[in-house]
Amino acid sequence: MPIPLETTGPTMKDYWSPVMCTWCDGCGDYGILTAVKQALVELKIAPWQTLLCYDVGCHGNGSDKLSGYRFHGLHGRVIPFAAGVKMANPTLPVIAFGGDGATFSEGVGHIVHAVRSHYPMVFVLHNNANYGLTTGQASSLTPQNQPMNSAPNGMPEATINSMDFIFSLEPTFVARGFSGDIKHMTYILKEAIKHRGFAFVDMLQACPTYNKFATHKMLLEKCYRVEDEKYDPSDPVKARKLAMDTEKRIATGILFRREDIPNFNERLVPRQGKKTRPVDEVEKFDVSEMMKEFR
Amino acid sequence: MTNRVSIKIVGASGQGIDSMGEVVAKTLKRSGYCVFGYREYPSLIKGGHASYQLDVANEYIGSSETKVHLVLALNHHGIVHNLKDLKSGGILIHSTAGWKMDKASEELIAKESIKVICLPIEEILRKLKAKSILANVIQTSFVWAILGQSQAMLEETVCARFAKKKDLLELNVKCIGEGFALKSAHADLSIAMPKPDPKRWKDCLLLTGSKAMGMGAIAAGMRVYVGYPMTPSSPLLTYIAATQNHTGVAVKQAEDEITAAQMAAGAMLAGTRAMTGTSGGGFDLMGETVSLNALIENPSVYVLAQRPGPATGLPTWTGQGDLHMAVGMAHGEFPRCVIAVSGSDDSFHLMDEAFNIAEEYQIPVIVMTDKQIAEALYTQEPYDMKSIEIKRGKLITDPKELGKLKSTDRYDPNATDGISPRWLPGSQAATFCSQGDEHNGEGGDDESGENAIAQMQKRMRKGEALLKALPEPELWKIENGKLKMENDDDNVDVLLIGWGSTKPVILDVLKGLSLNADRLPLSIGYLHFSHVWPLKTTRFEKLAKKAKKIIAVEGNFQGQLAMLLRQQTGIEIKDKILKYDGRPFFVDELAKAISDKLQMTS
Repeated sequence: MPIPLETTGPTMKDYWSPVMCTWCDGCGDYGILTAVKQALVELKIAPWQTLLCYDVGCHGNGSDKLSGYRFHGLHGRVIPFAAGVKMANPTLPVIAFGGDGATFSEGVGHIVHAVRSHYPMVFVLHNNANYGLTTGQASSLTPQNQPMNSAPNGMPEATINSMDFIFSLEPTFVARGFSGDIKHMTYILKEAIKHRGFAFVDMLQACPTYNKFATHKMLLEKCYRVEDEKYDPSDPVKARKLAMDTEKRIATGILFRREDIPNFNERLVPRQGKKTRPVDEVEKFDVSEMMKEFR
Repeated sequence: MTNRVSIKIVGASGQGIDSMGEVVAKTLKRSGYCVFGYREYPSLIKGGHASYQLDVANEYIGSSETKVHLVLALNHHGIVHNLKDLKSGGILIHSTAGWKMDKASEELIAKESIKVICLPIEEILRKLKAKSILANVIQTSFVWAILGQSQAMLEETVCARFAKKKDLLELNVKCIGEGFALKSAHADLSIAMPKPDPKRWKDCLLLTGSKAMGMGAIAAGMRVYVGYPMTPSSPLLTYIAATQNHTGVAVKQAEDEITAAQMAAGAMLAGTRAMTGTSGGGFDLMGETVSLNALIENPSVYVLAQRPGPATGLPTWTGQGDLHMAVGMAHGEFPRCVIAVSGSDDSFHLMDEAFNIAEEYQIPVIVMTDKQIAEALYTQEPYDMKSIEIKRGKLITDPKELGKLKSTDRYDPNATDGISPRWLPGSQAATFCSQGDEHNGEGGDDESGENAIAQMQKRMRKGEALLKALPEPELWKIENGKLKMENDDDNVDVLLIGWGSTKPVILDVLKGLSLNADRLPLSIGYLHFSHVWPLKTTRFEKLAKKAKKIIAVEGNFQGQLAMLLRQQTGIEIKDKILKYDGRPFFVDELAKAISDKLQMTS
């Protein structure tokens, strides 16, 4: 069916999918899914104008629970795939989603290089501090002494302090959301999409089946919006401290942001000043000039 | 056998062997010769023993011979290691003053009538107040004079390459003069070169397979390259990176091979032509991504540059041990195409085909090369851009056509030959999910048995269609003294079988072989497989029925192509000439091995 030209922008209905959700009751994925759609709608990005890239995990099972161009790839590898998409098509808004298992165990190298590369993309960490889909094993973000399915005595390894780690890489955009606050997540995601480089968005979410230590109720009580407290997100030292300090209260919102660092595509010298994108340039390239050096 | 002259420059890695080799090669080519350059070096940056051998002829050659006419040793290790590489009557040139040969060497020198010349390089350098790196120019010039070549020709190339400033230019010219002056004191030293053929060779290119391949990919519209350094795929990354400001190609050196494969996959899904390259170990890491691309039907092109394994193996040497890996790698069953290049010509000309197949069939395409092809120097006729074709298959970009699409068209299991329409994120059309789980037409999760069957059959039908479309292997024969690609399959007594880098050396052997069994001349044919998977076997089966003898020639232990042919046809190739020492086949060595095989039966 021909699709009429957008005049008023897309609606939530455009992102609707007839496929039934398969998540547990009370899963944080529902709220994040809604916020993602809402953010895209509010930015007037139609389903055909974006690519949403999913890692493997419970959140990845959401890849067919909404409309739009989507990709559902391998465990731990969604970041480089999404970055490759952006290399070829710098004007396409790309959001990648991955869990804490994929991001801080299986593919931990990718997050390091994504931050230092400043790929122009959004990465949403579905952070429920465990491997949900494989039935509740400890991830590297699970508290060390917490008994889990793979570690009845608690895991012997230390927990990674994910925010300390991310800030050590000198990011340009760090935000934290809570899956119970859809309106706030929508705001965060919109700002992340507008960010120049790599936007790291940590979404704290409930896992009602396997996470008994950071429940929806606990998150609801501890999370607050930094925007409500006249917070300035331009200081990386303060932001890092705030992000790491989750003992009494958990700061959500845009914790750190700077827009003065060129992103990866902007730094590619041969691409500078080009009006076309690599996706527009697939045609014969005359190598006559290049042959000269071999004569 | 073709009349060829071979010289070998040996010394420590980092002493300038490669640039000397390239200068001599280029000047010889400009003087009207076909040159083939072969490099050996260990896996370190400076100090290990390395060599650059040039074989020179007035007709096409694409191989080296085991023994050379001249060795130029830049250090005393070269004298020790490479004396044995000289032919009878060969010339050894060095500049290690006061070097004393051991007894065995003295005997070898006497037995083989080898001439040993020690050049007073240090003295000359002191006289000219020149830096030690200019020793290379004096030595090169001396060799050049022995080859009886023009001084002016050498000056032109050397100055173009090394002398950016005027005083340096003058010094280079002086050094060349000194080399020629030294030669005049050795009137008896000469190597008879074949008659040059400037018309044929002068305007040819002289380049490595890696550069040919990089140019081929660029000519074919590749706009993104992502790689991770690993010999012998690194020169490809280096070349594509070095030319990026001219070509506009977006180049990324990734943090690992998994990243490289994933980024290239993302770029392809977005709709450009992207490629990644690695060697066996890196390709192991890419396996999961190859499998993913197969399932989401995302076109992908990988360069697999072989070196001997297992593990780190022989990092800077050559081999053909990864054929079964390319054909069988990664989990699950899926169609793929494996193409093997053989030299500078098809390293360029098979790249558009690789991308075309990837896009037309929406499958992974693996382009196999090896260290020999990647780093050897070939004399190559300039490439013809007219032969490049860009075929993007069922990619839909027209707005009207896009408007007609349904989401379920993307993975429509009923599509002809299993090839369903493909369209790109950002296209104004019905959307779908490029789904790594088994999926239905629109990329929704579907774990039903019926759907699994329908989608598996859909994908596998693409492989069947590809097999039909691929060309049969090439048959090469000598007719009336000339090497020819043949359509006539009737008269082949001895059938040689090969793939990849063995082609040029087998063809060089064919030019020199005249074999007799029972005093009747034997007709020898070489069947070369450029497309090694899916394997087209009709022509092989027909030829195998009539051939008195079939010999597989491969650079691996098991005869991997022979195994695949047996798997597909039931025909066992009993005679195999296999090599797995990290070295390529040398022309005289292979000629003898083939003759031996034939004499065993006669």
